[in-house]
Amino acid sequence: MKNHLLKIPFIFFSIILLIFFYLLIIERNPTDIPSALLNKKVQQFETSSLFNSQKFNSSQEFDNNVVLVNFFASWCKPCRDEHKFIKKISEKKNLKIIGINYKDNPKKAIEWLEKLGNPYSNVAIDRNGEIAIDWGVYGIPETFIVDAKGIIKFRHVGPITKKIYKKINLLIDEVKQ
Amino acid sequence: MIKNKFFIIFSFFLFQTFLTNIGAVEPDEVLKNNAQELRARNISKNIRCMVCQNQSIDESEAPLAKDLRILIRNKIKSGKDDKEIYNFLTSRYGDFILLQPAFKLNTFALWLLPVFFLLIGVYVIFRQNKLFKRKS
Repeated sequence: MKNHLLKIPFIFFSIILLIFFYLLIIERNPTDIPSALLNKKVQQFETSSLFNSQKFNSSQEFDNNVVLVNFFASWCKPCRDEHKFIKKISEKKNLKIIGINYKDNPKKAIEWLEKLGNPYSNVAIDRNGEIAIDWGVYGIPETFIVDAKGIIKFRHVGPITKKIYKKINLLIDEVKQ
Repeated sequence: MIKNKFFIIFSFFLFQTFLTNIGAVEPDEVLKNNAQELRARNISKNIRCMVCQNQSIDESEAPLAKDLRILIRNKIKSGKDDKEIYNFLTSRYGDFILLQPAFKLNTFALWLLPVFFLLIGVYVIFRQNKLFKRKS
């Protein structure tokens, strides 16, 4: 009886250690938080468009299209790094890409896109970061895939890397079917 | 001399106490209505800064934390109650944004396991003590 009892704390301690060890060795980024908006409808918003004087109305833009949404800014270095992948997606996939220009100077953003190339079909201006908060964004660049019904199917925080680019390509095909 | 030392240590701890009450709230953010401002501060203290992750938005100087503080104040001004504000934030950022997670079906283990482990510990100590006493 005595030895039995002494084993209990040891067993619990071992289980906790095993859980910690498992979480240490699996490939995961603890700062990567799953989006609360996955499989939910996109937030509707109205703002101005970067390129024309017309209003940007999200309900028109997301209407029956699979859309890739990318939050970016000209002042954000990782956005510059991922830009080549956004351009590749726009060239290879028949897909609408919408940019949301986050807390940026519109003039600089236009210059930036003229210099690096513009993969976006339209760019919405998020002057004070309210649209980003509505989308649960916490660190740009962030990329979302929205299906034809306007449901968020994928979200990636941080720049698109080669690995993420491949994943996005597969997901676009999956969402389009 | 001893008095002096005591005074230095006392001042240090007093200073520390004040430090813990200093937030990152900037003067232009503060609401004119004291009761509303107090509500905003209380909510902000329980909202995690998604950028720093180990600070509340009340303490964090990250731009997103400032945006969220302003958003909370705007919602308070427009007549939203605390529950509505918490619901808005958790619907966008998930329960992770709450520094004190709610007691829910998927968090009950988080709240109850420490108590469970404590009870097991107390039981084991109690039994061991009893056995030891019986032997001696």
